[in-house]
Amino acid sequence: MARRTIQTDVLVVGGGGAGFRAAIGAREEGARVTLLSKGPLARSGASPMAGADFTLDGRSLRALGQAGAPDDSEEKVFHDIVTQGFFLNNQKLVEQYVREAPARLKELIDWGIKIVLSEERAIFTSGLGLMNVLLKRARRVGVDLLEDVMLVDLVRREGVVSGALALDIRSGEFIHLAAKAVVMATGGWHKAFWPNTGMRDLSGEGIVIAHRAGAELGNMEFITFCCNVLLEPPHARGSLATYIIGMLAGHELTNSRGETFLDGYDPYTVKTGTTTEWNKSFVSHATAREVREGRGFERGGIHFRRGAVPWEKYALYCSGLFPKWKYKALDLAEVGRRFRENQPIEVGAVVEYFDGGIAVDDGFATAVPGLFAAGECTLGAFGANRVFSAITEMLVQGADAGRRAAEYAHRTGAPGLDAEGIAEREREAEQPLKRRGGLRPAPVRRRMQEMAQKALGPIRTAGELESFLVEIRRVKAEELPSLEATAKARPYNKEWLDALELGNILELLEIATASALQRRESRGVHFREDHPDTDNESWLQESVVKRRGAGFEVATRPPCTTSLTPPGGVVPYLDMMKRMMQSHSDVGGHH
Amino acid sequence: MAERRITARVFRLDPSQDEEPRYQEYRIPFEEGMSVLNLLDYIYQSLDGTLAYYDHAGCALGICARCTCRINGKAGLLCQVLVSGDLTLEPISPARVVKDLVCEKAQKGP
Repeated sequence: MARRTIQTDVLVVGGGGAGFRAAIGAREEGARVTLLSKGPLARSGASPMAGADFTLDGRSLRALGQAGAPDDSEEKVFHDIVTQGFFLNNQKLVEQYVREAPARLKELIDWGIKIVLSEERAIFTSGLGLMNVLLKRARRVGVDLLEDVMLVDLVRREGVVSGALALDIRSGEFIHLAAKAVVMATGGWHKAFWPNTGMRDLSGEGIVIAHRAGAELGNMEFITFCCNVLLEPPHARGSLATYIIGMLAGHELTNSRGETFLDGYDPYTVKTGTTTEWNKSFVSHATAREVREGRGFERGGIHFRRGAVPWEKYALYCSGLFPKWKYKALDLAEVGRRFRENQPIEVGAVVEYFDGGIAVDDGFATAVPGLFAAGECTLGAFGANRVFSAITEMLVQGADAGRRAAEYAHRTGAPGLDAEGIAEREREAEQPLKRRGGLRPAPVRRRMQEMAQKALGPIRTAGELESFLVEIRRVKAEELPSLEATAKARPYNKEWLDALELGNILELLEIATASALQRRESRGVHFREDHPDTDNESWLQESVVKRRGAGFEVATRPPCTTSLTPPGGVVPYLDMMKRMMQSHSDVGGHH
Repeated sequence: MAERRITARVFRLDPSQDEEPRYQEYRIPFEEGMSVLNLLDYIYQSLDGTLAYYDHAGCALGICARCTCRINGKAGLLCQVLVSGDLTLEPISPARVVKDLVCEKAQKGP
């Protein structure tokens, strides 16, 4: 019982920067394009929440009339992204990132983006400003935009993508979308963890649904945690305000014994790992260690304070970053009071970016004919650890994926929707509305989110991963089939949405946990207590997740290298991290 | 330390079944610095899964405005208004309710 059917050439799934840029790219090639956004247009997902930094080589940046390091080059940026990724990057995708970044920044400037600040190899704008520019452009070129619509499944005909089944969240009615090509741009799956950085929509359906359709996934164990994320007060939980001010103005971190625990680490690593965007990998690792060893606080974090940094310096930075103690519109008055009085505030390592995802070729095509992917939901550009900007990634990949999808759509006929297949998928999706006496989804999700934070946090160990995997499989077998939406009316039925999302979340957790268990070494943002070395002899390998019937298997393969040869040897994790930090080109900046 | 509890009086309406809206009361543990959205999350997760409020997506930063409701009679954002005591929650346009605190989409986007 579909309220409507939509015919399009290219369907873009995802309302963030990658999705919008893909939609614009496909439309500019003359394709009819429909973009599906799960939440408010240009106001949901991670993109509008970003700081936001756009990174590129300094020389190209100068050519665009901005500050920028004159001695920088595309080769240096390529080198730094690959070493920061501990050599697990797909080097072809890194080349594409470096090559396309200047053109993407130039068009943003042409489209009216406001640059707040520029430095050696980055400009800073706002995520909101960026999304406003993309939304305006998408409307101007004539992209059809759907809001509050969630992807339920892809539809294929004889193995080829033919469209999708979606759900209009407000009305609760299904939408049938017939398309010649689909671009997945659904970002990360933050909602699998608690706490998270506040995005309520990111449950990774694009990744899971692409995988079920036959696309390979890779490096799903590499999950970047942002450090110094506010865990209190409750209304600000998940905000990055402390992360930002801490990196720019300095800070002091203490554990529950009152120790400034970073003193126990190598001074070079601490300096680089607190004053550049390496902090996500280093400080999150160090924070997880304190919390795991019983030196954390009640909310699973550590204490952040201004410390020895003069209040005048904080006040100056904060007046620029958080005018009148508002970050975007978030009220930071209480946080400001603690800064002024040099009182502690609890912060922690919170899930922020997913380094792995859908395997794509250098034209952003997946192994499924007609299916493309771009942005955070893809595998490859950043390898095992991301320091350079994901804003650049979403735009360079979105633009190319959209264009390629349109080219594909132009040379293919419309396969047409398979009515029987869709009807069956609708019946499956409606199950939670029909059950009686089942389980409520929210408590199940919360329990899994908290377990994910522990087992798949920055520090992992075989025992915990194995027990988590057993529990995920038990929940999939015993609880998922009995999830119930207590109220049966379809419009805005939260429990129904949660039940649908939870199936995807459990599958992602299972895949990531199995991948983390298989990788018996420590690299990038994946640290195994029981395998604490970076093993360049055996583990310069991507994890590859292949579909096998209703399940999957995790295999390995060497990452795609073009010009930078990976090192050998077995090196203690933090020594390897220091080596990667030290190999950075002699160009300043925060990346 | 005795836990402080507050009462939330929440507008409920399922237009497919109900002729008239009703108000339902919930008792919630109070936490200093909690937003109305935090309070609704507690009700939804721990007390009543049938309650609808706009939270499946959005910014939680006070920008997208999709969570606008009447809080003690005054228009405000669920994610930004802090809870100080007992309160009444109602949809911003009772005539356009899809379910409980969620209304039909306003025509104008960002």
